[in-house]
Amino acid sequence: MLKIWGRLNSLNVKKVVWCAAELGLPFERIDAGGPFGGLDTPEFLARNPNGTIPLIDDDGFTLWESNAIVRYLAAKYGHGSLYPDDLQQRADADRWMDWQATVFNPALVPAIYNLLRVPPEQRSQDAIDTARVKVDRLASLLEQHLTGRTWLTGKCFTMADIVLGCSVHLWLNLPLERTSRPELERWYAALRARPASTEALQLPLS
Amino acid sequence: MLKILGKSSSINVRKVLWLCEELGLPYEQEQYGSGFQATDTPEFMALNPNAMVPVLIDDDFVLWESNTICRYLAGREQRFDLLPGAPRGRALVEKWMDWQATELNNSWRYAFMALVRRSPAHADPEAIEAGVAGWNRHMAMVEAQLSRTGAYIAGASFTLADIVIGLSTHRWYMTPMPRPALPAVAAYYERLSERPGYRLHGRNGTP
Repeated sequence: MLKIWGRLNSLNVKKVVWCAAELGLPFERIDAGGPFGGLDTPEFLARNPNGTIPLIDDDGFTLWESNAIVRYLAAKYGHGSLYPDDLQQRADADRWMDWQATVFNPALVPAIYNLLRVPPEQRSQDAIDTARVKVDRLASLLEQHLTGRTWLTGKCFTMADIVLGCSVHLWLNLPLERTSRPELERWYAALRARPASTEALQLPLS
Repeated sequence: MLKILGKSSSINVRKVLWLCEELGLPYEQEQYGSGFQATDTPEFMALNPNAMVPVLIDDDFVLWESNTICRYLAGREQRFDLLPGAPRGRALVEKWMDWQATELNNSWRYAFMALVRRSPAHADPEAIEAGVAGWNRHMAMVEAQLSRTGAYIAGASFTLADIVIGLSTHRWYMTPMPRPALPAVAAYYERLSERPGYRLHGRNGTP
C-alpha cells in the first residue's frame, strides 16, 4: 500500500493526500514533521536526504518533492485524466504547478508561518503585510485566468487544480483582508465540493 | 520556428537555450528583461501575465515557467533520454528539477544578489554569510547525490535535471565567496563542460 509521511496541516502533504484520494488509491499516512519531528533521523534521511515532507513509498519506490510526487501518482494512476495525455495540455498543467512552487507559494509562506506557526507575540506584522499585498496581486492574475475556465487548464480537472488549490485553500482561510475575487471563489467552491478533497481541505486551518 | 523571449544572462532563459542546443532545435531569440526590452508592457503580459522570462512561442502555443518549457521541449522531440516517459524514471528527474527550483535557487538568491549583482538592497553582512552557508549546504547535497550516481544528478546518464543543476553549479563557482572542496561537484563541472551547449550557455564566463 502507498505510504505517505507528513503531518496533514502541511500544505505540501495536503497535495499528495488529495491526489491519492482523487485517484482512489488506498494509502497509509504517517505523521511526521512539525511537532511530530522525525525528519532528522538516519532512517528518514536515508529515504529523503533533504529531510522534508511529504515523502512517499509506493511499492518500494521512494520519492520526495511534493509536485514531483503529484506528477508521479497522476502519471502512473491517472494518465489521461489528472495527467493530460496531450503534450501541450500537460505543459499547461505543469506550468501552473511550477508557478505554485516558485511564485505563489514563496509569496504566501511568510503569512502562513506568521499567522499559523508562531505564537502571536513572535509575529512579524511587516512580513504578513508584505505577503498579503503580494498574494493579493497574484490572486488578481488568477481571477483573470479563471474567467471563462471551469478549471485551471480549461474544461478538465487536472493535477494542477490540486496543487494550486491547496495553496488557495490556505490563502482564502487565513485571517487576512482580501479583495473579493468571485471567479477564484467559484473555483475554490468547486474544489471543496469534490469528495476527494475533504481530508486535505478541512477547516479550521492549523 | 520556435521563438524564445528572454535575455541570455538570465539563469532561467539559459536552461531553455542550452536545451535547444542539446535538441539541435533552431530558434529565434528576443532579448527581454531588465536592461533589455521591458516585460511589464501590455503586449508582453498578454503572453505571460507574470511579466517574467523566459516565454516560449511554438506557433500558436505560448508557454512560460522555465522548467515546464524544458519538459515540453524534451517531450515534443521525444527525447526520453532527457526526460523518461515511464513514471518512475521521470519522477527521479523531476524531483531534482523541483528541488532546484524551490530549494537550491532560494538558497543562493541573497548571496548572489549581494556578491555578483552588488545590489544595494542585499548588503546585510549577516544575511550574506547565512546565504553563503545555506548555498554551500545545498551544494553538499549535490555532492552526496553525485557521489552516489558517480556521473549525473539522476543517475548514469545526462537528463534535464543536469541542465538546471548544471547552471546552478556554474553560478556557485562564479560567485566570489568561500567554498568547501566538493570533488564530485568539481568532476561534474568538468564533465558538463564537454557539452557544447553548456560551454555556450552555461560555463560561458557569465555568472
